[in-house]
Amino acid sequence: MTTITADHHGDHAHEHHDADHKPAFFQRWFMSTNHKDIGTLYLIFAIIAGIIGGGISGLMRAELAQPGIQYLQTWAQFSDGPNATMDQAYHLWNVLITAHGLIMVFFMVMPAMIGGFGNWFVPIMIGAPDMAFPRMNNISFWLLIPAFTLLLGSTFVPGGTGNGAGTGWTVYAPLSTSGSAGPAVDMAILSLHIAGASSILGAINFITTILNMRAPGMTLHKMPLFVWSVLVTAFLLLLALPVLAAAITMLLTDRNFGTTFYDAAGGGDPELYQHLFWFFGHPEVYIMILPGFGIVSQIVSTFSRKPVFGYLGMAYAMVAIGVVGFVVWAHHMFVTGMSVNVKMYFTAATMVIAVPTGIKIFSWIATIWGGSISYKTPMVWALGFIFLFTVGGVTGVVLANGGVDDVLHDTYYVVAHFHYVLSLGAVFGLFAGFYYWFPKMSGRMYNEFLGHLHFWVFFVGVNMLFFPMHFLGLSGMPRRYPDYPEAFAYWNKVASHGYEIMAAGMLIFFVNLIWSLVAGKKAEGNPWGEGATTLEWTLSSPPPFHQFETLPVID
Amino acid sequence: MASLPPSPFDRDRRNRRTMIGMAGVGLAMLGMGFASVPLYRIFCERTGFGGTTQRAASDVQVREATGHRMSIRFDSNVAPGMPWQFRPEHPTQTVTIGARSMAIFLAKNMSDKPVTGTASFNVTPLQAGAYFTKIQCFCFTQQTLQPGQEVRMPVIYYVDPKILTDSDNKDTQEITLSYTFYPVEQDKKPS
Amino acid sequence: MRKVKSLVLAGLLAFAPALLLNGPVQAQENAAVAAPATGNETAAADSAAKAAAPAAAPAAPAEKVAAPPRMKPTPGIGMPMPGEITLQKQFSPTGHTARWLHDVMLLPIITIISIFVLALMLYVMIRFRQSANPTPSKTSHNTVIEVIWTVVPVVILLVIAVPSIGLLADQYKPAPKDALTVKVTGYQWYWGYEYPDNAIPEFVSNLLPRDKAEANGEPYLLAPDNRMVLPVGRPIKLIITGADVIHSFAVPSLWVKMDAVPGRLNEKTFTIEKPGVYYGQCSELCGARHGFMPIAIEALPPAQFDQWVLSQGGKPKGAGAATTAEAGAPAAVPAPNAKL
Repeated sequence: MTTITADHHGDHAHEHHDADHKPAFFQRWFMSTNHKDIGTLYLIFAIIAGIIGGGISGLMRAELAQPGIQYLQTWAQFSDGPNATMDQAYHLWNVLITAHGLIMVFFMVMPAMIGGFGNWFVPIMIGAPDMAFPRMNNISFWLLIPAFTLLLGSTFVPGGTGNGAGTGWTVYAPLSTSGSAGPAVDMAILSLHIAGASSILGAINFITTILNMRAPGMTLHKMPLFVWSVLVTAFLLLLALPVLAAAITMLLTDRNFGTTFYDAAGGGDPELYQHLFWFFGHPEVYIMILPGFGIVSQIVSTFSRKPVFGYLGMAYAMVAIGVVGFVVWAHHMFVTGMSVNVKMYFTAATMVIAVPTGIKIFSWIATIWGGSISYKTPMVWALGFIFLFTVGGVTGVVLANGGVDDVLHDTYYVVAHFHYVLSLGAVFGLFAGFYYWFPKMSGRMYNEFLGHLHFWVFFVGVNMLFFPMHFLGLSGMPRRYPDYPEAFAYWNKVASHGYEIMAAGMLIFFVNLIWSLVAGKKAEGNPWGEGATTLEWTLSSPPPFHQFETLPVID
Repeated sequence: MASLPPSPFDRDRRNRRTMIGMAGVGLAMLGMGFASVPLYRIFCERTGFGGTTQRAASDVQVREATGHRMSIRFDSNVAPGMPWQFRPEHPTQTVTIGARSMAIFLAKNMSDKPVTGTASFNVTPLQAGAYFTKIQCFCFTQQTLQPGQEVRMPVIYYVDPKILTDSDNKDTQEITLSYTFYPVEQDKKPS
Repeated sequence: MRKVKSLVLAGLLAFAPALLLNGPVQAQENAAVAAPATGNETAAADSAAKAAAPAAAPAAPAEKVAAPPRMKPTPGIGMPMPGEITLQKQFSPTGHTARWLHDVMLLPIITIISIFVLALMLYVMIRFRQSANPTPSKTSHNTVIEVIWTVVPVVILLVIAVPSIGLLADQYKPAPKDALTVKVTGYQWYWGYEYPDNAIPEFVSNLLPRDKAEANGEPYLLAPDNRMVLPVGRPIKLIITGADVIHSFAVPSLWVKMDAVPGRLNEKTFTIEKPGVYYGQCSELCGARHGFMPIAIEALPPAQFDQWVLSQGGKPKGAGAATTAEAGAPAAVPAPNAKL
């Protein structure tokens, strides 16, 4: 599909004397303007945040493994002092669920998908030497550090009943305003502001890069699907995040300056916050999953040695998902009290999303159809993604029905649904991308056996962890509960064992990561063979510090 | 720099233009976020969304739909920390649709300080909001009660006869009007 | 803060002394119904009704009516079951419709879709592995198939949407005039119930501590001290609001879930088909003890419900007519001034 003028072919890149001249350590990593270095920083950040967020879910699964409160009181002594009350222990639970949600969304999935892989490969895939605004790119990354610090710090300051922000990641008013005294919620909100600013800057940068920096001949309709996915994601970020910023700014002023935007006492309406939050929140879930769609498209095509089936349909399905994603938000609010025709509209609109999603799933299968599949680790993860995302998607169709949601809303069914699309969708996409591009980024091959082992252990673990949650939700277990009636004990125990297996899978991943970085086989420019047609595989592994100083020409 | 593409200057200019455009989009969305506060209020008032009641001038002329009766229920709440008793004189009232009716709410200040209150309100079923019209209401303004003072507060309202032709309301037999009284912070000011 | 709350709480509890749980009396009452409750729950309730009603009616004409004995829950009715994998058994007409939609339409459709995708994937994974198919095809378009996989999902969604929209219309059917109205208020962290038509003032419903719940044979964390008592077969209209933050009133076995939002009222209509105890839990994060403010509805046959109303010092249906006023002409009011 693409040919590059011979003298800039990756194998010769090292012959450029300037291309691989790297700045000194501090300048390189702390004042970086290089998209690949910033991408690496993002990935490291996401891994650290992922360990913290995943560790928190471990605490939650430990507590939920059996009915009764086993550990919360002990843990509360760390956050609330030795005399922690039972209520503070319960509050700690809310802090854990809040932190888990915010960390995984804003500090793990988004930085890894967009900041990490987006930064690394969007410029290369479109044949650009770097991002459009390299210094802004650096600011985007470094804003995440204070944001994350604020969020973690909020755990240690008062937030109502106990220390920390216990409002849920949705930060609903009035629980987050009059219901949570103390600076913890302010810190959490400020953290979201900063993380949001970082993402908006990143989105502007990606849009500019993709629209203006493409190599000659790289038309929009020739761009790899991963670039398309990042472009759509960047637009979603740009349109959705400012609304969140406005919504949480008004939370802050309601909390601190006596305004009553969400307070019925002053003529405000707490429902308005939910409308604004979900106007952001629903596109946000597509922000997390769309880059995963892009990654999976690249991988499926590479390892089937076939071009993507229905390329235009795939690209515009993502655009359609993005557009429709903005007009379905109130399906998160089906039980807040809305009139019947509003509920009917949101039911119908939500179901529409299943159509472009179906197009993508069938197009992936059609891409494989007739191909010649080599089962390398990234492909296995991508296949896992397709199936598990389907399972998460169809439960979404169930939840879309406003009448059925009346009983499933805010139960574990919802938890199961969004973990299937995000934890098993987005995270499988992340691992697929990580194994796919690891040789390119590090210059070393990962261990194929450990990669497969990681997949299978993780696959079994997460399914055992999240599938029983459907049962819990159907039989009525509400979300965000530290303790539950005896009847829910069985599936909770199964889920907690699933977590243990998943955690073992993660250990294998880290062993593989460290082993590969230290002792992995040197990777060729293109370790995947003829199926890998995008521009990054024309460069050496790792690519030179500066690539495409003369732009490649695409036919 | 020599190895950069032929027109780096042009590209930088284009980039800047795109960035400014996109920053504009972002700022516009931020503005939209804040603008949603008044827009949402206007939307609710216009459409009765969320059971928001309508308001009419006292000289409004409505034709009674003789023979069409509806029950109106009254619900009262007092915010935590508000030292008032507040309840409807009668929990329900049967009215002719289109006819001007009055309901009385009783409020008493149980504290030894003057307390000013303001009420939020809506009706259920939510889809009836567009047809429940108040002509006069204690909820339009703030109310101050002296220590121990008890008052009878009227609401004058009618149910718009258009409700009879609205398919969403064809089964509506009773409308509940709910108030919640909140303390007003300016209490501390000398009254 | 907590002191104030417990004072308020104590005051409210004083209004409903008959509902107050006190150990020995409770145990006796339970013992009384324990035997029949082991069988069919309807039979149990009916026999309880027969036993209690004649005894109570002649003895106490107005005020000193004994409350019907606290009904014993039946395992599997109105509560989750250990290891359960599907929805709770439904006891309201909307519950049946909704459950039908889930069990007969949605669940089979999504299962078939998932299995279909899995089967397709397994087929291509085996058929087109490198060793079986060394030379890949270069096909990347097929308009017919692309149209098919766009149109077929649309058709499936339409098939789902029709009954789904019907269900919504059904659920939103407003309550008829003779419905019983109960006011529900969510507090941090308990529920308040008031029966405006029966002149029963608000009483509160708190978590039943573990030892008491277990002594009662009720599921801990689902059982509150005071239940919301409702009649069977009569439409119920709940009007729901929140006092402090948003809560959500939810009873899965009646297909009821509605947010309790401060400063605004919501309503929810349903009819209970059978006597029984139906449990639920708060379903919107409302602070520290979000998981500890359970809900229980005790559904009684109408006669027993009236007995309960009397025992609370309230007026049963019909006697409440005095509470309804004919709307006076507004001309009769003095000055159009809020302060009279």
